[in-house]
Amino acid sequence: MEQTPTQKKSFKESVLEFYDKKYKLLLIIPILILVLSLGQIAYQYSTTGDFLSKDVSLKGGVTITVSLESNFDVKQIESQIQLQFPDNDVVVRTLSSAGSVVGLIVEADIDGTNKEDAQKLLSATANALQTDLSKIDYGIEIVGSSLGASFFRESLIALAVAFLFMGIVIFAYFRTFIPSMAIIIAAFSDMVFALAVVNLLGLRIGTAGVAAFLMLIGYSVDTDILLSVRVLKRKEGTVMDRIVSSIKTGMTETITAIVAVTVALLVTQSEVIRQIMLILLLGLIADIFNTWIQNVGLLRLYIERKAKKGIII
Amino acid sequence: MDHKIKRLLTNWRIILLALFIIVSLIAIHPALSKGVAIRNVLTNSSASLAGIPQPKPTTLPVARERILSVNNKDVNSVEDYYRIISSLAPNKTVTIKTTKSAYRLSTKESQNANSSSKIEDLGLRVYEAPTTNIRKGLDLQGGTRVLLQPEVKQSPDALAALIDNMKERMNVYGLSDIVIRDAGDLSNNQYIVVEIAGATEEEIKDLLAKQGKFEAKIANSTVFRGGKDIVYVARGANEAGIEPGGCGQSGSQFYCRFRFAITLTQEAAQMQADATRNLEVAYDPATKQGDYLSEKIEFYLDDKKVDELNIGADLKGQASTQIAISGTGTGSNQQEAITNSIENMKRLQTILITGSLPVKLNIVKTDAISPVLGEQFINNAILMSLLAILSVAVVIAIRYWTLMIAVPILITMLSEVIILLGVAAFIGWNIDLAAIAGILVSIGTGVDDQIVITDETLKGESANIYNWKEKVKRAFIIIMLAYATVVVAMIPLIFAGAGLLKGFAITTIIGVTIGVFITRPAYSSFVEIMLK
Repeated sequence: MEQTPTQKKSFKESVLEFYDKKYKLLLIIPILILVLSLGQIAYQYSTTGDFLSKDVSLKGGVTITVSLESNFDVKQIESQIQLQFPDNDVVVRTLSSAGSVVGLIVEADIDGTNKEDAQKLLSATANALQTDLSKIDYGIEIVGSSLGASFFRESLIALAVAFLFMGIVIFAYFRTFIPSMAIIIAAFSDMVFALAVVNLLGLRIGTAGVAAFLMLIGYSVDTDILLSVRVLKRKEGTVMDRIVSSIKTGMTETITAIVAVTVALLVTQSEVIRQIMLILLLGLIADIFNTWIQNVGLLRLYIERKAKKGIII
Repeated sequence: MDHKIKRLLTNWRIILLALFIIVSLIAIHPALSKGVAIRNVLTNSSASLAGIPQPKPTTLPVARERILSVNNKDVNSVEDYYRIISSLAPNKTVTIKTTKSAYRLSTKESQNANSSSKIEDLGLRVYEAPTTNIRKGLDLQGGTRVLLQPEVKQSPDALAALIDNMKERMNVYGLSDIVIRDAGDLSNNQYIVVEIAGATEEEIKDLLAKQGKFEAKIANSTVFRGGKDIVYVARGANEAGIEPGGCGQSGSQFYCRFRFAITLTQEAAQMQADATRNLEVAYDPATKQGDYLSEKIEFYLDDKKVDELNIGADLKGQASTQIAISGTGTGSNQQEAITNSIENMKRLQTILITGSLPVKLNIVKTDAISPVLGEQFINNAILMSLLAILSVAVVIAIRYWTLMIAVPILITMLSEVIILLGVAAFIGWNIDLAAIAGILVSIGTGVDDQIVITDETLKGESANIYNWKEKVKRAFIIIMLAYATVVVAMIPLIFAGAGLLKGFAITTIIGVTIGVFITRPAYSSFVEIMLK
């Protein structure tokens, strides 16, 4: 049988050829994911009034303070109350005075205006302490968020300004609009994807989660800047050669980070660290297609347009 | 090989990294400290009368005075201390031995019938002796939880404004690790919950519960108030501090006067001009000179007179916007008087800047509270970080198939953690969850940069085209651009509201700066010497 030249190509070569020739078609993937993610967040906002579900550290809730002289295991009490409130966050802490424990404080993100729920939390606490409500001295309070009501508005403004500043720095270096925007859009898309998946998983975000989303900025721009510098500022090889060399370096970065984050996710016993690592993992996965398909696609569209005007990069 | 090692050890970039690591370890100062550290000494308590000094907030954690024994019984934990103290009898002498000295305290009979202890509080607040100079934040260490109740019920908007004012007060005063929340109970009582790390009871009382209504009066009419009448409060070392020759002794008490300048608004200055216009110049019979006006300017804090000053005769009817504010602090020795005077000045300046709270707050309850992240969190985080760092080294070793790159990257990651913690210990920065997130970003982007250096210098088509210097330069263009982008992204976060964003942004900026200017150059030198 006679073989055609195309059949001789190795799998790797055909993948590269597809990646090279069909970049506009591939661009649909990240754009679709971005649109779907934004749709999820919009849906979340329209149904719950918030673009993410907040945990007790961001939303506040009901606290019960109990005076107690005897010793108790905080972790055990926490998990016992949690069992009765599987859909809520429960945090138990100890109160002490003059060096000895004088009581505990239970905080849960339940609606304080609903007296039934508050009563249920109270009896769950008494149960966990193996005592009767009438025998303990307790206080019940409805507390606001630890970060304050204006926190999200302020952080969103700060984030918008952060993206603007990033845009200015990148624009100052590359002096072109589209490649600069591509880097910003990639960072933005990483955060949006991670948030949409977190919402779909039904996770509640606390202060740790907010920090994790901010961490994505740092990880995201690393690969995008590597790509843009190599493609736009280097002269050796073809554009495709430079993209492939960027992928080698950039994927080493991303895979290293993914392995580290996965190891952390597997060994940690802390809910807070688990949340940070999960958000980072989602963002890093998104960074793979947002850098190597979305940012590459936008860069190549830009180069093609320049080529039509007779400028070769 | 020998000459390569020699070149490594004489390379200035690697020497600089080593120096930073050593200085950081000195700043962190790991120590096995015995006893319990003194956090606070209450004024006029047995402890303060016996001469135990109030610890200065600027003292490094490891250098704090520690109680080693009480009546020759060793104190090894906070529980030990309180157990020994609760067994003391009234009207006896107690010997407390600390790291600095031995003190003899006399116990007093307890005035509080409900108290389980037979003696009056000695006035010492202690905590487990710190083992490093790294200060842990509220969420890692716990702190004080204070429940406050407004004297008059506030509308939701007024309550939000009140909380913002309290936050600003703590910020101006220099305490950042604080959470202030609104709270209410089921019978519609209104509260404010404050959680705070590293503040003393007096600071909470004076800064949060006090309304802080400051008024300056001349002949019983108010000429200006704290807050909106004041444009600027001088706090620099040259414009604010102890008055020259302002310290003295009266009886057994030492006192010191402080003074600082403020700038008034035009309207307030005019008020003052109106108040002084009709005053007479008082002639001093001794000098036969008229230096001052007949009335003094009096300063009131929460309706209590705190100080008064003579008004210079030349100020009569003048709309001067520059005013000197003064006050005093006392103590049982001169040093204590100076410390207290400076503290009083700081509190007064804070109140003048932020203005008075709209309502007086009563302290309902004060408790020590355990950290929200739990006791095991730190150990768990350390274990996790070490495993994650190790896994990075393994991936790098597989990717480049040599330990000559994996081991230096491992060392770089660890040195970045040490230097960052060293800087935190040195500047007294609290390590909390947000700071840990910032450290993780710094190390993660650090690994990215090391990979860029490795690939730009050792791999790829460019390997034969450019000389070594050119290749390093090309790597650093990518690194510096990514660095600049991250730093500018963090700047707006510093200024946005809550402490969470601020702590994260500042730690990230410090971390990536250390990486770019110290550890990255050392790594590229190592690659050049060993692998070129």
